[in-house]
Amino acid sequence: MRAARLGAILLAALAGCATSPYQRAGNGDDVAAAVARSRPPETARRSLAFLVLGGAAGSRLAAYDLASSRVLWTQSAEVTMRVATGASMLLHGAKATAPGSPAGQLVARDLGTGAVLWQHPIPSSEELFGYALDGDVVYLVQRVSSPGGKPAGRLTALDGRTGARRWDRVLPSSRVAAPAARGGLVAVPVESQYVLLYDGATGAPLGQVLSTEEAATFVRALPEGLFYGSRGVFLMGRDTARGSRRSPSYLSAHLPAFVRPTYDYDFYRPEQTEYSAIDRNRVLWRATVEGGRPQFRDGLAVVHDYRFFFAFDAASGALRWAYLSPTDAVASADTGQAILYATVDGELVGLDPRTGARIYQASVSGGGTAETVRGATFDAEGFTPTAGMISAAQPPELTATLSAIIADPDQRFPALKLFAVEELGRQPGRAVTTKLLELLTSEKTAPLAQQKAGDMLIGRRDAGALDLYRNALRAHADYCDKRPAPPVEVLARAIGALGPLGRSVAPELEAHLTLPETTPAAATEIARAIVATGATDSTAALRDFLTMYRSDPVYDRDPAALIAASEALLRLGGTADRELLLFVAEEPHTAVGLRKHLTGALAETAPARHP
Amino acid sequence: MLSRAFAALGVVWALAVSPSALAAARAGKAQSKKSKTAEAAAEATGLSATEIEALRQTLIGADDEESGEAADKLANAGTARAAEPLLEVLAEGGRPLRVQAALDALGKLGAAHVLRNDQAVVDALVLYAGHRAPDIRRRAVKALGNVPDPRVTGPLMDRLGDAAPDVRAAAADALAARHEPRAVPRMFALLSRGDAGVGSALASLATPDMVPRIAELAGTVDDELVANTLGDYVKRDDVPEKLRIDVLRTIGRLSGAVATTALAEYLASIPAKEDRASKREAQKLLDQRGGTP
Repeated sequence: MRAARLGAILLAALAGCATSPYQRAGNGDDVAAAVARSRPPETARRSLAFLVLGGAAGSRLAAYDLASSRVLWTQSAEVTMRVATGASMLLHGAKATAPGSPAGQLVARDLGTGAVLWQHPIPSSEELFGYALDGDVVYLVQRVSSPGGKPAGRLTALDGRTGARRWDRVLPSSRVAAPAARGGLVAVPVESQYVLLYDGATGAPLGQVLSTEEAATFVRALPEGLFYGSRGVFLMGRDTARGSRRSPSYLSAHLPAFVRPTYDYDFYRPEQTEYSAIDRNRVLWRATVEGGRPQFRDGLAVVHDYRFFFAFDAASGALRWAYLSPTDAVASADTGQAILYATVDGELVGLDPRTGARIYQASVSGGGTAETVRGATFDAEGFTPTAGMISAAQPPELTATLSAIIADPDQRFPALKLFAVEELGRQPGRAVTTKLLELLTSEKTAPLAQQKAGDMLIGRRDAGALDLYRNALRAHADYCDKRPAPPVEVLARAIGALGPLGRSVAPELEAHLTLPETTPAAATEIARAIVATGATDSTAALRDFLTMYRSDPVYDRDPAALIAASEALLRLGGTADRELLLFVAEEPHTAVGLRKHLTGALAETAPARHP
Repeated sequence: MLSRAFAALGVVWALAVSPSALAAARAGKAQSKKSKTAEAAAEATGLSATEIEALRQTLIGADDEESGEAADKLANAGTARAAEPLLEVLAEGGRPLRVQAALDALGKLGAAHVLRNDQAVVDALVLYAGHRAPDIRRRAVKALGNVPDPRVTGPLMDRLGDAAPDVRAAAADALAARHEPRAVPRMFALLSRGDAGVGSALASLATPDMVPRIAELAGTVDDELVANTLGDYVKRDDVPEKLRIDVLRTIGRLSGAVATTALAEYLASIPAKEDRASKREAQKLLDQRGGTP
């Protein structure tokens, strides 16, 4: 009976396998053949930015020509979903103009004039996940519900100029995502781990990619190839028909912890098709493909984080350049020859991807009219700003930029600022040490950033900065002069880290042992630094500190500073110092912890008796 | 064991250890055991060397209360030699109560003009003026103020920048008592920050050109603070009568009971039979405010 039931289950399972729509998932031949059919798109050599404008003049869509630095056209529009461009038309989502379409509508416009070509209201029974354009063909992915039936995924091809339906294809799952299209090939992610490939002309299925180790949340069509991925990027092809991170066609940049490694938005989430914070915080990347093997172009991955742009060596994670925009960049794109971005207040800027130098700048706000940019799409593949567009295309100086980022009053980016402090600390030079000291003493520096600055200062072991340390230590706290205490604890550690090289600063350091504002923790580090530097001349200050505080109730609870001072005296002092320590160890009012420690330490270090 | 160890320390620290603030005090102690001058000093004040030694033993003994009483007796001994056991307490480093008692006693000896201005005294007091506990710093500063030695001026100026208001006030009072004009800019800076503890000290040191600057602080700091400071200033004997009237009028324009009190106190400071224009002005201003002396 039991065997019969198991057999039934096995049969059912086999039957399920037999009818699985993903039987050919991961078939390298299929995928390779499909990709081979995909013709690289002809580069249109356009230099367009489509700007979604708000503000007093109302909601509008404007086309801006970067090459001539002028607005080509402006149309009144309530743009919701991102603009996608075709050969002669563009498409975007918009708020519905007619009742009965709460999901909004698709609007196609003529690329040259912005005039509406057609509008397609989205009924409430359909959920649009996204669209892609290939030439002037529009591909839509929707989840369609019917009364009493299960929702189904659907891929639809439309004529971009007329909106006429070319073909429909029911997808094997209702868990669908927005498509990408490239040279006659359409790619649709489904079920998070598959990417289905279709013939753009007919809708015929061509292949199925199976991502085995990470979700495939996006597909992206670029001149250099068709890509998919989530935490990393796979170049679609035979090697990645079964996506594995071990594949040589897999790319993932080494990025610092503050970066959200978003290589593209999540195509399964329709809300991310709208202009949003996603556009302001993501990784910009392009690839070069040689012999079917992709590499990040120039070995770089560029991180756009609101007002900040960082270029990282994708392999090592080393910071190559940093750029600070005065205002939020609402959208950005790597168009091959430039990192283009648009700011909320209408600035359009181009950066050299290799150096971060500003190579293009224009403004859509002119004639006394301030514009508010809510979002932007760039159609400027290969656009290269010509000489003379901007006068000084000097790469940003890294130390100065990092310093500016740290000093920036914008409080939204604590993790990013910590990263900037860390990176600053890695840079060579006395100016950096000076800057780190400034950060340590500035009231404007956040506590965590101060801590990081201290760590970097200690780690630098900058023996050339002794005079800076000396000057910093001489600036004692003074209420009258509104001067705070210097960061003695950190400075002591930094000087101690130098070993004997730091000895010349010992007088300034020891002076803090007898200042009221010196914390026990700082006193501990001073004593340790005196030992590390071998500053035997500082034993007098250690003696004063030890005797003055040996009976202080504060040190009953934690005698670490007294122990450190006594240890320093044991190591650096002479016979008289041992006598003092013996007295301190035996005097009953001495802090209990110190007495206990000293009793043991004196016994351990007692000179050998000779007969 | 303690006494044996300490006896050894008394000699060894003084002679072998590199200089430190407390080593000097220790040296003083070691010397006291050997010197015959103690007996002479004791004879001069009627306090025998044996009595001083007995007080010393009590001072460093186990009983805190008896130690405090011994410190009091030494403070009133009226002899410089009484300072030595007190310095010994500071050199050993004791619990806060004992240190405070020793500092207070040294302060009293200083006030009685019997405190030596030697290095040991100065160094020990300067060291404790940097103690972490404000109560100890304040006492050390007060004692320092009574040491007739120019070396204490710098440390007292430093304590004007102390984080504790009581310590700043003690430093200001000490500097004022020493008629230290270099302290005026820092005192004025403190007054500008609303530090009430320095008003009287500043008033005692301020030159006439400083008065308008103090008056201008009205509205930026508490009017009471300005009134108090000007009220103290106007009571100084060396203030010209014309300036005094101007200052009284300035006080009269200030709001609050403290300004009224300042005018009343000025009136009270003048003998009843003495007639001067400023007295009449103060009375007039008081009448206008509806106050009575």
